[in-house]
Amino acid sequence: MNLFNIISELEKVDPEIMDRLTHRRSALNALGDLSKKMALAAAPIAIGSAFNKAMGQQTLADPTAVLNYALLLERLEYSFYTQALAAPTLTATLTGAARTAIQTIQGHELAHVNLLTAVLGSNASPAQSPTFNFGSAFATYQSFLTFAQAFEDTGVRAYKGQAGNIPRTASATLSGTTYNLLTVALQIHSVEARHAAHVRYMRRDATAGAQTTIMPWIVNADSNGAPAAVYGAGNPAATFPAESNISQGGITSLTTMLGATYTADDVSAAFDEGLDNTTVTTIARSVVTF
Amino acid sequence: MQRRSFFKVAGASVAASTLVLAGCSDDPEPTPVAENVLAFSGFNSTGQPIDDGILNYAYLLTQLEAAFYLKVVAAPPADLQPGELAYLTDLRDHELIHREYLKAILGSKAYDSSAAAPLEFTFTSFTLTTRAGVWAAAQQLEDIGAAAYNGAGKLLTVTANLLALAKIASVESRHAALAHEMVQADSFGATIGADGLDDAKTPTEVFVLIQPFVPIKLSAANLPTT
Repeated sequence: MNLFNIISELEKVDPEIMDRLTHRRSALNALGDLSKKMALAAAPIAIGSAFNKAMGQQTLADPTAVLNYALLLERLEYSFYTQALAAPTLTATLTGAARTAIQTIQGHELAHVNLLTAVLGSNASPAQSPTFNFGSAFATYQSFLTFAQAFEDTGVRAYKGQAGNIPRTASATLSGTTYNLLTVALQIHSVEARHAAHVRYMRRDATAGAQTTIMPWIVNADSNGAPAAVYGAGNPAATFPAESNISQGGITSLTTMLGATYTADDVSAAFDEGLDNTTVTTIARSVVTF
Repeated sequence: MQRRSFFKVAGASVAASTLVLAGCSDDPEPTPVAENVLAFSGFNSTGQPIDDGILNYAYLLTQLEAAFYLKVVAAPPADLQPGELAYLTDLRDHELIHREYLKAILGSKAYDSSAAAPLEFTFTSFTLTTRAGVWAAAQQLEDIGAAAYNGAGKLLTVTANLLALAKIASVESRHAALAHEMVQADSFGATIGADGLDDAKTPTEVFVLIQPFVPIKLSAANLPTT
């Protein structure tokens, strides 16, 4: 458990962190008491909570808040695929290899829910998953895949948007395995991207309307029938630009400033953009009731 | 760990023999490493971790992938299916953009910025005359890339660098998923474990996997491990 590393990391970003806590010694004593009482796995999260308390409720500034936000998204996705696989309206169309693929994705989402729940321990909030109502999402196979693309692409953007909020030394130990929380977030981020690519590939199939202009990657801010906000800018837009962004790392235009000419299609597709949690939640609530 | 090794490279003969990054740590007696070794340094002159080493590591990966797709698209296999050349062309362009972007932001810190010529990668272990061979190779390289980025994130100390690589990382995962699809339908989840997590590899692990393609000995000895 990297308790002292977490504190040291936080001191780098916020030199006054220790002043915000009443006393370094009393803070550490308090943490010591906590870790005696709590399961080892939950202790790092308790530390996150301690900092959150000390700093006031800053938006997702600690691992607990980030992990609970991730848990909400994973619960939503798991519920989405579970309901799809049970939907009478999809029985005749979500079949064969497509059904198997969705079951595979559903299994990954469940694994994410279970992992995040275990890491959070008693800090999982809310303790039980909300009930999600996806409206008419399952009316047709095409509609279902459009929603799936929207959720997976949003998931990629959501994890990327939080990468900077997880201290790179934060860790949790489960059943003897130590997980670096930033690495876990990036590994899930990668899984969501593989899902998104596959769902996009499924939409090209004849059974899904042969939408062969849909690529596994995001071209410009093309929404392919999903809500436009999924591919739009977040807040602040300078940090979370739309997926059509062609400016990176201080280079104004990657289409013309890299020594050769590249199309905006290729430049925008070569980079996925992050999204802030408020925008992600707003997008989710625009299509799901929970 | 061997963070202590310290290289000093002089002059323009870099490309010919030794491609190493200048950099040293606070160790009073640096241990020289044999020539003809490419070892990115992730520590500055006072031994503090810096991101240049990991950014160069990412740069090398993009160089490798770009070189692969350049070669494939220049002489595509005859049995490609409709639409596959368009995919490969997009993949080539994405990787070229990644390569040139990282080269631009590294500037003079790019490991080969003063080299006479870029590294020439070898792909002789691949069968590039059939679509099956091309996509199997693409799958291998993209899976390595995705796992490399997943493992490299925690090694970066500057948040902006983490975010820059994360923007590329998920695109690599998308590429990997497509390559899997082309090799075997619905195998997009092949690298994902029972815990729902994709692979994450250390630079040391990645160097072992890409060494066959790189014409110079790779060493991760000077890169951070935590």
